[in-house]
Amino acid sequence: MTRIIDLRVKEKIYKSKKTRLSILNDFSLQVAAGEKIAIVGESGAGKSSLLNIIGLIDRNYHGEYALLGSLTNDLHASKLAQWRNQKIGFVLQESALINSLTIEDNIKLPFLYAEKKTFQPEDFESVISAIGLKPILKKKPLECSGGEKARAVFARGIIMKPQIILADEPTASLDMENRERIVSLLFKMNKEFNTTVITVTHDLEIANRHDRVIQLERSK
Amino acid sequence: MKIFKFFVTQIFLRKAILGIGMILLLCMANYITFTAARSILSTFQGYQETNYINQEGVYIANLDPDSPMDMGFISESGTQAVYDYLNSNFDYAFYTDGFIVSIPNPDGMEISLGYMNEGYYNLKQFELSQGTDLDFNYQFDREIPVLIGKGLSKTYPVGSTIKMEESVLGRPITLKVQGVLKQNAYRSNYYALNSKTYYNFSILVPVNEEFLNHAAIDLTLNGLMDVAILGTTKEETADLGKVINDNLGLEFNFLSQQDNYDYFKEYYLHALKMICIITFVLLIVITCLSIWNAFVSVRSMLKDFTINLLVGLSDSKLKQIFYGYFGILSFLNLTAVFIITAFNRYGCWLRKDATFATYGLFGLIGMDWLAFLLVAASDILMGVIVVESMLWKIKKIPISLGVLQ
Repeated sequence: MTRIIDLRVKEKIYKSKKTRLSILNDFSLQVAAGEKIAIVGESGAGKSSLLNIIGLIDRNYHGEYALLGSLTNDLHASKLAQWRNQKIGFVLQESALINSLTIEDNIKLPFLYAEKKTFQPEDFESVISAIGLKPILKKKPLECSGGEKARAVFARGIIMKPQIILADEPTASLDMENRERIVSLLFKMNKEFNTTVITVTHDLEIANRHDRVIQLERSK
Repeated sequence: MKIFKFFVTQIFLRKAILGIGMILLLCMANYITFTAARSILSTFQGYQETNYINQEGVYIANLDPDSPMDMGFISESGTQAVYDYLNSNFDYAFYTDGFIVSIPNPDGMEISLGYMNEGYYNLKQFELSQGTDLDFNYQFDREIPVLIGKGLSKTYPVGSTIKMEESVLGRPITLKVQGVLKQNAYRSNYYALNSKTYYNFSILVPVNEEFLNHAAIDLTLNGLMDVAILGTTKEETADLGKVINDNLGLEFNFLSQQDNYDYFKEYYLHALKMICIITFVLLIVITCLSIWNAFVSVRSMLKDFTINLLVGLSDSKLKQIFYGYFGILSFLNLTAVFIITAFNRYGCWLRKDATFATYGLFGLIGMDWLAFLLVAASDILMGVIVVESMLWKIKKIPISLGVLQ
């Protein structure tokens, strides 16, 4: 299988005036295309930091990161932004919506940054129908339930048909029914489009449904 | 552009209070800078312009503030005696203005008459846009050659005549336009250098001895108040002061323009320095408040910025958006200051205030534009400080998935 992620982190340091915290020491991760990986671990172990690195948000670490066969360390910031737009989809908690925009505009937000005119109304329609968001498209996030918002965040994460989905606690504040719905949608994307899925979760039941579970431990 | 439009309409304007806060702070900064800059520029212009009188041996008459003023004691014969003494013993530069007459003109302005003798004319070196220099040896009872301001030049071109009833001679006179002064020609006050009189709607009448001999006392007395004695000494002016005192009962001081500058330095320059210091301090305070306002904005919009960064916004684009937004706020404020200034200038036209009416794009003159340039420069500096502070703050937080949890 094609290796899609090849990450080798020597360390990631967080500094404040009085403290210096080193995480992800000598951490390496290789992920094949279409793989489903769960990352678990206690708070402060570096789960979100790892997603920040994989998602090309954080470049301030010691190590090397090859994504889709290209070394990302030397890439220009605008190129990384372009990759975040086209190749990576972020599925986040239900609060990750811009409250001043409608659900429709939130979902269409990635199109704003797409280089070419990638917006195809029929693609948008099919995603919205599949996720069941049609009735709430014109609503603002504050008028929606937690489950509706979570699905909207999910729709935004997959609207550009990314090769990798990074899910950061996507079900954290959802009830059982909505939680199941989001996980099913994630796995459906993985199955239908061979999308790589990396999920950070505290929920071991969900973690165990992935191909691999990576346990991160807090630095001593 | 669509990304910038999106940020302005969907993100920045949604936190209107922060935008309004920044606009108000910028407006204060711009207005303070503009006012201070224009005062300084106007003073500098005054220094440059009055240099014509700042010469060795030139002393300017000035009524002592403590002088008694008994109008009953002042007579035409007394004034004439002073002028006889002046004519016999000195060369002098005579100038007085503010004599209002009504003559037809398209702007309906009340026209200000200024009177000057050859001594003043030679010192001041008026710049003309049309016509030729004045001739002071004219026939008193025929046409009197005059210079006019630009505002009258279309109605009264060079060579045309103006007939009017004139109060100084108390009879109808005919003026012949000899030349047109350059647009926005002005005269600065010898003592308050940032105070000016513009000549756009003035007529400058040359006066000679014969004219003065026939003139009413209000011209001759007023003329004495600012008369400049040329090529003389302090001692000689003291004798003149005695003559004035004996004939008119007035105490006069005779000061060189350097003395006037010193007076200005003592009383006005200090105020000008204070304006500069206060402006500088206020600008620092306003910049600090703007940075604080920007930090609050970053805090309140951090989630929105993060979501946009996750879906494809780059740091460099975000920087451009911030600079663009600050540029728009700055432009709006500059426009506001511009409108206020243009309205003030235009107000002189509306009030038919001939001595302050100026020509220029929207009535604005050189020093206004220069002051605008300084305001724009201070806005750029402030913009760089505020935007870079915002970017520093965003990097310090920093943007990450953690922000959204």
